[in-house]
Amino acid sequence: MNRKVFVAGLAVTLPLVGLMLVSLGRDPHKVESPLLGRKAPPFSLRPIGGGEPVTLASLRGKTVVVNFWATWCVPCVDEHPVLTAAPQRYGSDVVFLGVVYEDEEPNVQSFLREHGAAYPSLVDEGGKVSIAYGIYGVPETYFIAPDGTIVSKYVGPLRPDLLDGFVQEAQARAVTRRSDAR
Amino acid sequence: MTASLGRALILLALLAASAGALVGFAAGVRRSAAGLAWAQRLAYAYAAAMVSANLLMVYALLARDFSVGYVAQVGSREVPNWVAVTSLWSSLEGSILFWGLMLGLYVLGATWTNRHRHPESMPWAIGVWLACAAFFSFLIAGPAQPFHTVPIPPSDGPGPNPLLQNHVLMIIHPPFLYAGYVGMTIPFGMAAAALLSGRLGPDFMRSLRTWLMLPWVFLTCAIVLGGWWAYEVLGWGGYWAWDPVENASLLPWLTATAAVHSAILVERKGILKGWTVTLILASYLLTVLGTFMTRSGVFNSVHSFTQSAIGPTILVFLALATLFAVAILALRIDRLSPEGHLEPGVSRDMAFLLNNLFFVLLTFTVLIGTVFPLVVEAVRGVQMSVGRPYFDRMVVPIGVALLFLLGVGPALPWGRASAEQARRALLPPLGGAVVLAALGLALGVRNPWTLVALLFGGYAAFVTFSELWLPVGQRIKVRGEGMLEAVAHVQSRGRRRVAAFIVHGGMVLVMIAIATSSTQGVTVEAQLVRGESVALGPYTLTFLGVDRVSEPHREALVANVEVKKGGRDLGVLTPRMNYYATQREPVGTPAVRSTYAHDLYLSVLNLDAQGQTLGLHAMINPMIVWIWIATGIMGLGGLFGLLPSRRIAVALAPAMAVDGSLSPARSR
Repeated sequence: MNRKVFVAGLAVTLPLVGLMLVSLGRDPHKVESPLLGRKAPPFSLRPIGGGEPVTLASLRGKTVVVNFWATWCVPCVDEHPVLTAAPQRYGSDVVFLGVVYEDEEPNVQSFLREHGAAYPSLVDEGGKVSIAYGIYGVPETYFIAPDGTIVSKYVGPLRPDLLDGFVQEAQARAVTRRSDAR
Repeated sequence: MTASLGRALILLALLAASAGALVGFAAGVRRSAAGLAWAQRLAYAYAAAMVSANLLMVYALLARDFSVGYVAQVGSREVPNWVAVTSLWSSLEGSILFWGLMLGLYVLGATWTNRHRHPESMPWAIGVWLACAAFFSFLIAGPAQPFHTVPIPPSDGPGPNPLLQNHVLMIIHPPFLYAGYVGMTIPFGMAAAALLSGRLGPDFMRSLRTWLMLPWVFLTCAIVLGGWWAYEVLGWGGYWAWDPVENASLLPWLTATAAVHSAILVERKGILKGWTVTLILASYLLTVLGTFMTRSGVFNSVHSFTQSAIGPTILVFLALATLFAVAILALRIDRLSPEGHLEPGVSRDMAFLLNNLFFVLLTFTVLIGTVFPLVVEAVRGVQMSVGRPYFDRMVVPIGVALLFLLGVGPALPWGRASAEQARRALLPPLGGAVVLAALGLALGVRNPWTLVALLFGGYAAFVTFSELWLPVGQRIKVRGEGMLEAVAHVQSRGRRRVAAFIVHGGMVLVMIAIATSSTQGVTVEAQLVRGESVALGPYTLTFLGVDRVSEPHREALVANVEVKKGGRDLGVLTPRMNYYATQREPVGTPAVRSTYAHDLYLSVLNLDAQGQTLGLHAMINPMIVWIWIATGIMGLGGLFGLLPSRRIAVALAPAMAVDGSLSPARSR
C-alpha cells in the first residue's frame, strides 16, 4: 500500500465527487426573481369564458397563488391536477388564479373542459402581466402574502408537497406581520 | 412484444456482463486459462445482446412501433427514415442504449484482438470492462429503460427535438463523442489490469496504447465536430465557448493526449509506468464525470439533456470507479517498477516529461474553471460563472508552451544530447519559425500572442515536415529508391512514427488556425434598411429583402444579403431567423461563405416582419476551414497509425519499434 498515492488520490478526487454530490439538486436555470419581497404588480384581467374581471387588489387579506401556464406546455399539463385539487384543501383563505400565457382562448377553453377547472384562468391580452411578473417560461407560480407582497416564486411543475410549503410560507408571513403589529 | 423482447435482451446483457466481470476477476486471481475463456465468451455474449437490443430499437423506430416507450417519446410518422434512425441517440434513454452498443462493440473488438495475448492481464481487463458494462446495462434496465411497454400506443409521436434536426453535423457529432467517451473504457480496463496483475511490459503497453489511440481519434474529431456545429448553427461566430460541457469533453482528451505520449516512454525506457496508468485511469473517470455533467442537470448548457433521475446513479458509479482506481493505484503502483531511468539534460525524453506536465496543468486549469461556479454556489450560495477571460488568460500561455514543445521535442534526440548535437538539431527549424512569423507580420498580424504562436508554429511545422521527409530522403539517397517506393517502405516499417508526425502536422495547423482566427477577425454590426449596404474588409454587403419560408416544424424569415468583392458579384447569402412552435425565442441560423483564407460569416440580429430593416452581424473569420481540415488530418493520421504494420507484428524490442533504425542520426 502506497500511502502517499492513496492520500493524494483521495485529496484530488474526493472534493470533486463531493462537489458534484452537493450540486446535484442544483437548477442552473434558477435565477432569483427581483420581485421577491416587493408588492405584487397589480392587474385586473378578464376570466376565460367571460365574467367580471378579477382584480388582484380586491384579494388583499388573502393568500394568492398566481400560476402562469399554457396548454402547449407539457409540464403545465402535468401540474394541472395538483392545482385543481388544491383550492378544496385550503378553503377560502387561499385564492388560486391562472394566467394564460401566449395561448389561444379556444384551446384553453377546450383544455379546461377536458381536464377540469377549480379556479378562474385569466386572459392576459398582449402578455402585459406576464411581462410585469418577469415570466420567462411556463409554468411559473407566484405566491402572494395577504399583505400583497410576493413571498416566493416557483419555476416548473408543482408537486403537492411543494405547493403546501409555499402556501404555508406565504401564510406564515401574514402571521408574523400580525404578531409584529402587536 | 417488441418492448418485452428489448427488455429481455437488456437483462441478458446485464446478466452476461455481471457474470463475466466476476468470472474475469476470479480468473485473474487464480490465473486460470479456463476462466479467461469463459470471461471471453461472456464478453461476446454481452456484445451480442447489446447489438441485438440496438438493432431492435432501430427496427422499432423505423416501424414507428409506438408501443415501445422510447419510440412513443421521440418517434414520429412525419420525419424521414434517416431522422428516425438517428433519433436513437437524440434523447436520454436512447443515448444510453447507444452507449451500451458502443461499449459492446469495443469490448468485442478488444477481447477478440487480444484473445491469444497477455493471458496474465486479460482476465482482469475483461473483468473491469464487463463491470463497467454491467453498470450501464443496469442503467438501461432500470432508470433509463427505453423499452417500456406503452399500454395504449399513440397513433403518432412528437419526433425528436427540432434543434437537433437542423444540421447534419448534429447527427455525426454524438456518435463520434460516444465512440470517444465509451472507448476510454478499454484503456481503463487494461490500465487497471496492469496494476492488478502487477505487470506492464512493453508488449502489453503497445496493445494498451493502440486501444487508447482509437478513442483518442474519435474524441479529437468529436470535440471539433461539436465546435463546427456551434459555428454553423448557433450564429455567434465562434466555435468554442468554454461551455462546461465542451470542457467536459476536452478534459479526458487532455489526459489521454498526455498518456499517448508518456506511453512511449514506458515502451522505450520502461519508465513512468505508474504515471501513465494514472493518466489513463483519469481519462476514463473524466469521461464519466462528463457524462454526469451532461445528464444530471447540474450545468446549464446547450448540451444538457433534461433533468433526469439517472444523474445520481451515474454519480454513484463515478464515486465507485474513482475509489476503485485510487485503491488499485495505491495498492499496486509500487509493483510497476521502472526498468530504466531518465537522464537529466536536454533531450526528447525531457520534452516528453514537460509535455505531460503542461497537459496535466491544462487539465487542472480547465477543470477548476469548470467547477469553480459550483464551488462558489456550494460555499456562498451565490451564482456566478467563469467566462472567456479566465480561460483565455490561463489556457493561451500553456497552449503556446505546448506548441513550443511540439517543435522542440521531436527535434531533439533521445537520451542525452551534447551541446553540438542540440545545436545541430535546434537551429535549422528556426528558418521555418522566422518565415511564418514574417508572413504573419506582412499580412498584418500585430497581436503578440499570435506572433509567438506563428513563430513556434513555423518551427514545429518545419520539424514535423523534416521528420516525415528525413527517412524517405535517406532511402532515396542511400538505397537509390524512387520516391513512391521510399514512402511505401517508410510508412510500412515505421508506421506509428509516420502517423504520429501526421497527427503533429494536423495539430500544428489547428493551433495556428485557432491563434489566427481568434485574434485576426474583423466584425461589423449594422442596421440596414432595404437596399442599403455596409462594407466589411474587401466585401460590400447589401440587404435585398426578406423571404418568408414555411417548413413543417418551423417558420422562418430569410434575409437576402448580396455579397460583392471589388465590384465582383459573389452571390447572395441567406442568414435566417427560425420560429419553432415549441420555442418562444426565435433561433437564428447564420450564413457562412468559406474560402481557404477566411470565412465570411453573417448572422441576423433582428429582422422586422415586413422585411424593411435588418440588424446584421457580419464577420470575417480567418483560417477557419483549416481547423476542420487539420482535424481531419489528425483523425486520419491517428487511424493510419492503427493499421497493422509489418514491424508491429514482429516488434518485441521496444526501442526498435518507435522510430527504428531508419533515421540513424536521431535514433540513439
